[in-house]
Amino acid sequence: MRNSRILSFILILTAIIIILPALVILLWTVTGRWPWPGLLPESYTLRTVEELLFGSSGLWKILKSSVILATAVAVLGTVIALMTARATEIYRIRGRKLISSASILPLIVPGTVFAMGIQVTLIRIHLNDTITGVIIVHLVAALPYCITIMMDMTAAVGSSLEEQAAVLGAKPLRGFLDVTLPQLLPGILSSASMAYIISYSQYFTTLMAGGGKVKTLALVMFPYIQSGDRALASIYAAVFVGSALIVFFVFEAIIHRIVRS
Amino acid sequence: MNKKIIALLLAVMMVFGLAACGSKGAEEPAGTDLASASWDEIVEQAKGTDVAFYGWGGDENRNNWLNGTVADYLKENYDINFEYIGMDINDILAKLTSEKEAGEETGSIDMIWINGENFYTAKENGLLYGPFTSQLPNMEAYIDGDDPETLNDFCKPIDGYEAPYAKAQMVMYNDSAVTPETPKNADEFLEYAKANKGKVTYPALPDFTGSAFVRNLIYEKCGWEQFQTMEADKATVKEAIEPALEYLRELNPYLWNEGKTFPADSTALDQMFQDGEVVMDMSYGPFTVASGIADGTLPETCQTFVFDNGTIGNTNYMAIAFDAPNKAGAMVAINAIISGDIQLTQYAELRELPVVDQDKLSDDEKAAFDAVDLGKGVLTQADLLTHRLPEMPADLVPVIEEIWAEEVVGK
Repeated sequence: MRNSRILSFILILTAIIIILPALVILLWTVTGRWPWPGLLPESYTLRTVEELLFGSSGLWKILKSSVILATAVAVLGTVIALMTARATEIYRIRGRKLISSASILPLIVPGTVFAMGIQVTLIRIHLNDTITGVIIVHLVAALPYCITIMMDMTAAVGSSLEEQAAVLGAKPLRGFLDVTLPQLLPGILSSASMAYIISYSQYFTTLMAGGGKVKTLALVMFPYIQSGDRALASIYAAVFVGSALIVFFVFEAIIHRIVRS
Repeated sequence: MNKKIIALLLAVMMVFGLAACGSKGAEEPAGTDLASASWDEIVEQAKGTDVAFYGWGGDENRNNWLNGTVADYLKENYDINFEYIGMDINDILAKLTSEKEAGEETGSIDMIWINGENFYTAKENGLLYGPFTSQLPNMEAYIDGDDPETLNDFCKPIDGYEAPYAKAQMVMYNDSAVTPETPKNADEFLEYAKANKGKVTYPALPDFTGSAFVRNLIYEKCGWEQFQTMEADKATVKEAIEPALEYLRELNPYLWNEGKTFPADSTALDQMFQDGEVVMDMSYGPFTVASGIADGTLPETCQTFVFDNGTIGNTNYMAIAFDAPNKAGAMVAINAIISGDIQLTQYAELRELPVVDQDKLSDDEKAAFDAVDLGKGVLTQADLLTHRLPEMPADLVPVIEEIWAEEVVGK
């Protein structure tokens, strides 16, 4: 009883710590001036909303391309990670230790160094300034996380139930789809969300691989944060977080649907 | 098994390598040799093409002006599809360097917004196309060819590799409701700092604005002429700026946090000023105050001021990338941007000092420039231009920044 009270207190405290700054961001989106020591802004403005909706940056186009790009990375990343995890955990292919340690290599190389180097490679294979090139580069950044999640998940689920299905006469594909996949869904959801948010928030790698031709929300938002336009940076941040949350809800709804059917 | 995988990987890599070799030089742009083409031929060649202009994207007004006013003008008059893409100059140069390294001949950047040290580095490393400015009719029609800022960028010869875009000038500003006085020189600035102890500071070097402010104080204490031809030798520079270093050390105890630390960049200082943590701010945009008042981020009582001896001004420029896919289009766009029409809209919409020579304007054009309402709290164009000092050579700038870090911070 006492324990659960402490627990819920900690839970509420954590929620406040996360939500309060987010609320301040929302307030900043319409703030004109907010000098110290005022508790609330001194003046309000709709300049940022106007810029967002009617400015030359084309919000919907950018939002669309960001979401498509990040979803592609989420789907591809999760499929690759699932296949890698099956290969190393279930089929126990040779060199699996090498594969699992190599999969975290992209985390060790600094992002800027990787972006500069990969750009030269992309130019050589004529994928620079294309969306395909950007997807490949984002995949490299996202895969370490996806693979780690899927490996743990696959190891936890194991193959015994799938083998059971095979014993009862199920074909391999049917065994995987009907028995193992539903058990893996929580992992698939985490992996896809992780890959999505990593792709969604890439700045420098998108800039280098996409050369400014592939436009994402992060690319438009970053200069405003850097130039210190707090109101404009806040409204872009709100759109950024809001749109990512919507996509996560959609992901979850799709997964739930699959589970039920 | 393992060997097979390795062999396969190697084979794939070799195929990619070969593909890269085979494709070199495959795309040779058709058309005349640009350097010897007449202006009419260039305009003809640019018709119906796309031009991508890369530069800093942190100013919403400028982004909208370029993608709106300028893009419409180019579409209407030259049938050019113009697009501005926000990218930091360091990233642009990194991108161009990679492209050069990879032997790319057709990149994606046409025009670049550039000046100073970055121009010097880019030109030295062959990242720019040129010379091209002598082919632009508006260089002759609107720009003063004898102006040192047309010939040199931070005292380094331009040689036709970039055309002027807008003029910037160091200004200072404060809120007259908080501190009515406006320091007229370095000594008055020291008094001002003493009177507002702990509420005055400047951005830490090598921030662009902070660095310019310190150079401005150096000009106050040591004059500006001697630096124009000075060699970038640390000992020489240090000896020359010794009086200014002494002054800066004397200033330190009265600054924010007693000069032990400085705001990281001008953005941080701007926010401190907006929050009321400091009483004075500075900017390289001479009409920043008017935009700030119009946006609602600055109070209406803000006032701009410069030193009586003048403040540093520089010009920023437009250049063309060495591997620009559409050099003809870029030349036409640059030519249009330095025209009286577009410079007028830049002056009116962005409140940016124009680069056109006032003496070359027709009476109508002159009247149009004079009619522009600059907004509140700013100095007039004439006031600024009569208080304008030239920049130092580009290679002195990092030397001074290094000396400042060693001799001024926390001393």
